[in-house]
Amino acid sequence: MTEHIGANDARQALRAVEDERRRVIDEVDLPRWYWWGLAIAWILLGVATDVGNVWITSAATLLFGALHAAVASRLFSGRHKSSQLSVRASTVGRRLPLILFASILLLAAASIVVGFAVDADGAEHASTIAACFAATAILCGGPTLMASIRRRIA
Amino acid sequence: MTEPKFDELIHPSTRLSIVALLAPADWIDFAFVRDHLKLSDSALSKQFATLEEAGYLKVERPVSDRRRRVRVRLTAAGRKAFDGHVAALREVLGAVDD
Repeated sequence: MTEHIGANDARQALRAVEDERRRVIDEVDLPRWYWWGLAIAWILLGVATDVGNVWITSAATLLFGALHAAVASRLFSGRHKSSQLSVRASTVGRRLPLILFASILLLAAASIVVGFAVDADGAEHASTIAACFAATAILCGGPTLMASIRRRIA
Repeated sequence: MTEPKFDELIHPSTRLSIVALLAPADWIDFAFVRDHLKLSDSALSKQFATLEEAGYLKVERPVSDRRRRVRVRLTAAGRKAFDGHVAALREVLGAVDD
């Protein structure tokens, strides 16, 4: 049968296949509420740290870690942005959760460095300021990171 | 390595788009496919019926959801046929390039 198909027909069909694949890859993402939730939780954690009570800080950190672990385990595959489709694991690849976890750890480290720098500068509420820096990075960088990952997958 | 096998059932543009859309997904909502391909409910249902009859596609109606939803997914046979078809299309282009 293939001898009856012209090269143009085959090329056009393959282009259509690629377009549909890209449409599904466009759905590889995290829901918008995740980024907002993470940013707000980060700021709350910063505020709790500035309160200076070791029990409040420890409880807030544990709560933050537990909640994030529960949410991340469901979302970090990047396959369920919408309830309208589920992207195949083989389409997304296995590295996405690792990249996301590494980014969060990097941001936590950067946030601590900023916190110490602001504190050394004599500012009050250094943790809250550092958390605001992290929250801004999350809201601006999160979606950008996902867009770059989608481009790599495509 | 997928064996190239041209599939006449998949090749028509609408069905190729449907199968190509389903291939990188576990499942897709009926409404998503309809809106993306800009087809009417009846036109899409007809295409689904053809593919389902061939054993390439499975239509599911999840009972756990409160809303009435229809999900479609490729079967293993549908995936194999799609992979073979894409390989056949690539072979055509490869033959031209050679």
